[in-house]
Amino acid sequence: METLKLRKITSVWIIIVLTLFVVAIVLGILMRLNQGEIIQQSPITFYGNMTTHGLTMIGIWFVAGMAAVNYLLERYVKTSYAANLFALALTVIGVLMLWCSTFIGEFHAGWTFLYPLPFKIMWAEWATPLFLSSLGVLGLGWLVWSISLMAQILKKYSISQAFAWQHFSKNPKVETPPFILITMITLIGVIACLIAAVILLILFFIEYFSNGSFVNDALLMKNLTYFFGHTIANEMLYLGLAVIYELFAEVSGRPKWHTTWYVALAWNLSLIFILTAFFHHLYMDFVQPEGLQIIGQIASYLASLPAAGVTVFSILVAVYRNKINWSLTNLLFFIGVAGWVIGGLGAVIDATISNNFILHNTLWVPAHFHTYNAMGNVLFSLAFFHWFSNQYYHHKERQNTLKLSILLIGGAGFLLAFYIGGAESIPRRYSTYPSDLPMGATLASIAALFASLYLIAILIFFFNISKKCLKILSSSPQSS
Amino acid sequence: MQQSILMLFLGLLAISIIVFTYVYQSSQKATDLDRGMANPLKSRFWFLLILFVILGIFASVTIPKSPYYFYADETPSRVVHVAAKQFAFVLSNNAIDPKNPVGENAIELLENELVEFRVTSFDVNHGFAIYNKAGQLIAQTQAMPGYVNKLRWKFSEPGAYSILCLEYCGMAHQIMRSSFTVK
Repeated sequence: METLKLRKITSVWIIIVLTLFVVAIVLGILMRLNQGEIIQQSPITFYGNMTTHGLTMIGIWFVAGMAAVNYLLERYVKTSYAANLFALALTVIGVLMLWCSTFIGEFHAGWTFLYPLPFKIMWAEWATPLFLSSLGVLGLGWLVWSISLMAQILKKYSISQAFAWQHFSKNPKVETPPFILITMITLIGVIACLIAAVILLILFFIEYFSNGSFVNDALLMKNLTYFFGHTIANEMLYLGLAVIYELFAEVSGRPKWHTTWYVALAWNLSLIFILTAFFHHLYMDFVQPEGLQIIGQIASYLASLPAAGVTVFSILVAVYRNKINWSLTNLLFFIGVAGWVIGGLGAVIDATISNNFILHNTLWVPAHFHTYNAMGNVLFSLAFFHWFSNQYYHHKERQNTLKLSILLIGGAGFLLAFYIGGAESIPRRYSTYPSDLPMGATLASIAALFASLYLIAILIFFFNISKKCLKILSSSPQSS
Repeated sequence: MQQSILMLFLGLLAISIIVFTYVYQSSQKATDLDRGMANPLKSRFWFLLILFVILGIFASVTIPKSPYYFYADETPSRVVHVAAKQFAFVLSNNAIDPKNPVGENAIELLENELVEFRVTSFDVNHGFAIYNKAGQLIAQTQAMPGYVNKLRWKFSEPGAYSILCLEYCGMAHQIMRSSFTVK
């Protein structure tokens, strides 16, 4: 059973995530305003904000998923409070170091910090080691947390049970709850990509301290970067899906979901596809072996099968012609799944090599990943935050339609500007657009307006949820 | 081509919204007597099979159109060496010396001749993206230090073409560009 300590630390995670989210959205809006020529930032400020925005977003939605999974995992196994606290402390320290490197040191190599860009000093010299160290601190905290959660699962379930392999036979004696299966599969992916990040950082530091006697291979470093970056961005979505499998039926007043042979198969296959789909980030590196390029496209396509055929289909089956107790929580889950599907469609289109040839590094790329993050994963986490805080301080839900409408209209307009920009060949990551691509600035201005609406909706969620989380933080055992 | 992709996406987007809205509305109208989808396992199987076949067709049609196979059986009549360096491109008819990267003042290509761009970088990762005069991205590859990416292309229309860097490379990334002419 959950403890008061777990409840409080989960509240702290939620407040931190929402606070940093608001800051990161503001940075994003400033970027679009600059691209729209409504404000004027220096390129250094713009790219510094871009670096902060990208890494902060990835970090917060990863820890949001982890905090939710940790909280719900307590229903099945005892989790380590110390590991949770350790991850929290290192996340705070890591984010402060990261922001120091970008805001004060003016480090601006982007969230991908593609080798060897961090070594081409265009900022304070100390900012490069500080930036790389901040990633090391974050990675260490998250790795310890992930390993701890997995170890706790494996104390109760054998490896084959954790992977739900017994469900491939008729009449399995033990049922692996879907939440355990998905958490296990996701944690393996998380640990794999964090280990890749550690290797990447070690290679960076060896070259940094070698005084020129050691030089890394750019292609290997790029593969490691995207194995880490792509996988962690995907896994944070799957953490959200684990939460949906656990909570959607419960809050909807429907029978709890069970693991079946096809659910077990789908999630086991997902692990393979998730770990090999990252090759699609290197399609335009023609020196990458062709076989890996083809694997990238096929794995990206196949990854959609278990996702669409099992998870999305299960949500639709659960809702179709069934009486559902609709609340803000399951509405956010449901709309989030739709956002995830739509972002996935944009992703599969871009994961087609012949399409990537004319879409790579245009605005199509941020279009699709912002869709399944801003309109998918964020909604999964908001649903959990809302459900979690409502358990202890329930307030009557008011003006849900208004809140959701602002969120959806803001999100849709902001995202459509990205998609149209991609189709118009507008490059991504440009602080300002060249005069021969005038559509870029127009779309950026429109996007900034809609993103501001999205921000308003998020601020409403932020105040409602944080208020309740602050009450949880100040509560005593007697009042709980 | 990009517009067709956008239309495909918008079509799929509309279908997704219609399906989710329809399913949501069906739950709102549902009573305690409703029992959801009849035989969901069978529907799931057919849904997966159709999706698998569609993706299989897409993969088999699109993979052969990947840029790695462009004009693979032909010999290029023209080779253009490209070296990217923060924040400019050097284009040359001859191999480029990294210690003294100097290129031609102007590169002129012929309509419909097979050109091979041999693209590398002398510092960080860059993008080498070719835009036509309408501002449409028509071809690209990456410029990576230590490697040479070979892009083969035939220009079917004469005119001025721009080269833009499409891989973020630092504070002046947005102004890193070059051009050439096709006659």
